[in-house]
Amino acid sequence: MSALALKRFDGLAVARPCGDIDAANAAAIDEELASCLTPDATGLIVDLSDTRYLDSAGIDMLLRLAERLRQRRTELRIVVAPDSQLRRLFEIVGMLDHVRVHATVSDAMADIPRAAPDVSDGEASAPDIRG
Amino acid sequence: MDGDSGVERGPQLEELEDIDASDGQASGRPGADGADRFGRLESITDSALGYLSLEEMLSEVLERIRGALAVDTAALLLLDEDRGVLVARAARGLEEEVRQGFQVPLARGFAGTIAAQARPLVIEDLDHADVVNPILSQKGIHSMLGVPVHVEGRVIGVMHVGTLARRVFADEDITLVQRAADRMALAIDNARLSEQRAVTEIVQRTLLPDALPQIPGIRLSAKYLPAGAGIKIGGDWYDVFQLSGGRLTFAIGDVVGRGVLAASVMAEARTALRAYLIEGHELSEVMSLLNDLLVAMGRNRSATAALVSFDPELGELQAVSAGHLPALLVEPGGVARFLEQHHGLPLGIRVRERYVTERYPFMVGSALVLYTDGLIERRGEPIDEGLARLRAAAEAAGEDDAPLADGVYRRLLGDAPLEDDVALLAVESLPLGTSLELTLEANPAVLADLRATVGRWLASFGAGEEELFDIALSVSEAAGNAIEHAYGARRARFAVRCDYHDNCVQVSVEDRGRWRTARPPTRGRGLMLMRSLMDSVEIERGEEGTTVRMSKRLASGS
Repeated sequence: MSALALKRFDGLAVARPCGDIDAANAAAIDEELASCLTPDATGLIVDLSDTRYLDSAGIDMLLRLAERLRQRRTELRIVVAPDSQLRRLFEIVGMLDHVRVHATVSDAMADIPRAAPDVSDGEASAPDIRG
Repeated sequence: MDGDSGVERGPQLEELEDIDASDGQASGRPGADGADRFGRLESITDSALGYLSLEEMLSEVLERIRGALAVDTAALLLLDEDRGVLVARAARGLEEEVRQGFQVPLARGFAGTIAAQARPLVIEDLDHADVVNPILSQKGIHSMLGVPVHVEGRVIGVMHVGTLARRVFADEDITLVQRAADRMALAIDNARLSEQRAVTEIVQRTLLPDALPQIPGIRLSAKYLPAGAGIKIGGDWYDVFQLSGGRLTFAIGDVVGRGVLAASVMAEARTALRAYLIEGHELSEVMSLLNDLLVAMGRNRSATAALVSFDPELGELQAVSAGHLPALLVEPGGVARFLEQHHGLPLGIRVRERYVTERYPFMVGSALVLYTDGLIERRGEPIDEGLARLRAAAEAAGEDDAPLADGVYRRLLGDAPLEDDVALLAVESLPLGTSLELTLEANPAVLADLRATVGRWLASFGAGEEELFDIALSVSEAAGNAIEHAYGARRARFAVRCDYHDNCVQVSVEDRGRWRTARPPTRGRGLMLMRSLMDSVEIERGEEGTTVRMSKRLASGS
């Protein structure tokens, strides 16, 4: 049983979990999101358009995911509608300080640098991830 | 029947009428006078056989026939009506026939000819007859006598005996075998009826949901009645699926035809439906997948089906139909109308057929009735009259306290004998009241339904979208804590109580476990979340357990 719908564009994976993310399924969705990332993937977009509720277990999962991806220098973008309850929740819990959030998948894709020219100097070239 | 089909034309093949003339020519049979043979006949039909199982009884009768007639083999084949073949069911001296599952089509070979003509048949010299069954010639059988096994004029099988030596069967032989066959026919028919009853029961028990989900504010009721109590199972089915987030999906369907084949198609369709829904496909997609599956199964069985999913929080239905009768919607005022649906082609007819999902509001106080044609169809009556009767019955039943399916069924069919199977499923969205009390299993899987129920309860007081989100999520967080406290305890439960009074919502979530030190960051975040979303949050840690109390004032109440 798959808890999310996956699409790939070049090095980008766009994953849309179908439904709420909470203590019941956060670990399973975390695993599925991790398995979306092929070794050559440059970025992951988590599209929360079909998610009505996200509880603290879900928020925690996304923050840990953001940290893991930051360490392997893979971009993470999250998509939530600007007028949604989730967007408001993200503001309340300070999510926007840690993850870049966009209104649409295409906005998120445009925000991911394509064909990163040179990553040899490591941390220096890491993009500013403040929203 | 085709006169060229072998046996009948064999020079040694004689039918009963021909045998009359050659009476007394029997050879290779130990001397037996009439009285002795009647004694043996009694031994074939004595009542002690009634205590044996069918298999044992058939074997025993065949064994006795073998002794009474001094023949070497005795066998019984039963007719499979769906496939038009005779299947070996019991044998003595010819056990391979049963073990190898020997089958012969109607009107072919020795047994097939007997069944098709419904008359006894004798072959004196098997070598010269065209016999379908190789086991007979391998065994070295020389002469055979076979009789039809019938019930109420219907042939249900064939019984035959055979000898290794050449034998001319006499009239009394034929009479004796026929009487044994008649005796077996009754036992077989009785056994089949109870088998059908058992199958019907198994299907009802295993293929229909045994308990409908219990959801606060939603009353589900269902009826499933096979026509002619246990004669032949039909292909009607219904199902209820509870998906995460409180969404419910209802299915009803009717596979064309009756019997085990229709029931098995129904069983496969039902299992596939569950799988497609769990995979998260949209309803019209689920219907298309189900259609392609039925076409691919190639059983030439079509089915009508309707799928409806209900989002209690949004108060909305989504419905898709594959040639099924229109669902009946009872509006909060009590007026019933049939859903105006796009009716797709029934399932199993054309591959890659497209289906359309439509949306309908379904507010508190509404009800929905899904049914199969057995509920409304009367012989010789236009279907519109049946539909009108259903509408009237649902409107009248809506005024009772009884579950809607019971009320509708009682009004439409009462105690009348059924002409067809009936499956009936009703969904009622009831007001929740100002208090909501739930006792839930300490398992994270309940959280999604809990949020949906709380959301639905709040919506009935006109809570705004933000308020609804904040309170439902806070209740879910507190419940998450309670579940964590119960970790390791078996069958632990926790209680949620919500009250609405003077525009204020008060919630308590109570467990019997010990509050653990907040495990950063998750639980710390949970508590922070509740404090941000609610006006007040208090935690009472006691010897018995922990209670979280929260409140929030609604900006605009009703």
